[in-house]
Amino acid sequence: MTGAANSMDPKWNEDLPIYRQLRDRVVAMILEGVLTDGDALPSVRNVAAEYRLNPLTVLKGYQELVDEGLVEKKRGRGMFVTEGARVQLMKDERRRFVEKEWPVVAATIERLGLNIEDLLKEINTSKSAGDSGKGKKND
Amino acid sequence: MTSLVSARNVSKSYGTVRAVDDVSFDIGKGRIMGLIGPNGAGKTTLLKALLGLTDCQGSLSVLGLDPFKQRKDLMQNICFIADVAVLPRWIKVSQLLDFLASVHPHFSRERAEELLKQTNIKNDSKVRELSKGMVTQLHLSIITAIEAKLLVLDEPTLGLDIIFRKEFYANLLSDYFDEERTIIITTHQVEEIENLLTDVMFINGGKIVLDTEMDTLPEQYVELMASPDNADKARQFKPIHERDVFGKKVMTFEGVNREQLQGLGDLRTPDIADLFVAKVKGGVQ
Repeated sequence: MTGAANSMDPKWNEDLPIYRQLRDRVVAMILEGVLTDGDALPSVRNVAAEYRLNPLTVLKGYQELVDEGLVEKKRGRGMFVTEGARVQLMKDERRRFVEKEWPVVAATIERLGLNIEDLLKEINTSKSAGDSGKGKKND
Repeated sequence: MTSLVSARNVSKSYGTVRAVDDVSFDIGKGRIMGLIGPNGAGKTTLLKALLGLTDCQGSLSVLGLDPFKQRKDLMQNICFIADVAVLPRWIKVSQLLDFLASVHPHFSRERAEELLKQTNIKNDSKVRELSKGMVTQLHLSIITAIEAKLLVLDEPTLGLDIIFRKEFYANLLSDYFDEERTIIITTHQVEEIENLLTDVMFINGGKIVLDTEMDTLPEQYVELMASPDNADKARQFKPIHERDVFGKKVMTFEGVNREQLQGLGDLRTPDIADLFVAKVKGGVQ
């Protein structure tokens, strides 16, 4: 999943409000490094026109990011990725993984009687063998 | 919310036919309102009344003016794209710009030329030489170059191919719209403008059957996809509409709490097209 290609896709998921999905896309772009600290977000007007969205929807999505401290408004100049946004996001994502996903994975490992050392070894060998970039991070 | 358009008990009859039947509504500044209705529902009559092209009963105020009596003042601040092309076929683009610059106090020729440069329309082309899509582009460019507070679009993209339609709305949002401007739009291609709207109004048989903000739609309406064995349970909550999809029952509910339907199947917010069918066709079939 590359951030740029994903953000070009105008398909919306019906289960989540669009402003929320916009917020998630920007977050994904920050995590993937497509947007880095200090980068300008595309203007509300551009995003609205590009996706044929109401500008208020776009603004609401951006406002979420401002409230989370990931993006800051600069008067008359637009929205910018806050310094340290990626670090903060990575911290949040790591914590979420450790608290939410890891217990599930750990329980599965135990239930199946697997050995963590073996699993790590296996992952390392498939990484160096594959080298297709497919095993990169957990998407 | 300051009302830009305010209608109270507005009716309009043609002979014995009540084309618009006792409607009341408000539209605020900076809103994009979708007016959706089947053919002959009264949309065009209502728009005509707003534009002062027809008189009507009841009280109607647009930008604080009576559209029928103060049409001349109103026309300086509103714009209209009709489903029928109204630009004379013999006129050259440059002549059209000359004309508008001479009659319309809020028309910016510079802005129009700047917008037309982004299209394939040439200054010395005649309207008759342009394709349907280009005529619409020309129309939108002119209108964008007018400092109007209210824009009324009646089936603006009718007969245009998908590329022109997308471009039309993209240009509308990037060049025309801002929080000071208000748009009223009718179209049968609802799914194309769904995400653009702040408000939606359904009209059927001259009456308003729905008038709501898009933001509050998920709280008011929910669609349930139930397996047949849950269908009877779900029917107790009185769906306003029911249809079959892949052997499942899809029911639309109004004013029913999502939690009450939890466990009976997948829940989602109906899109405008489905909601329209539910509200206009109505009744459990």
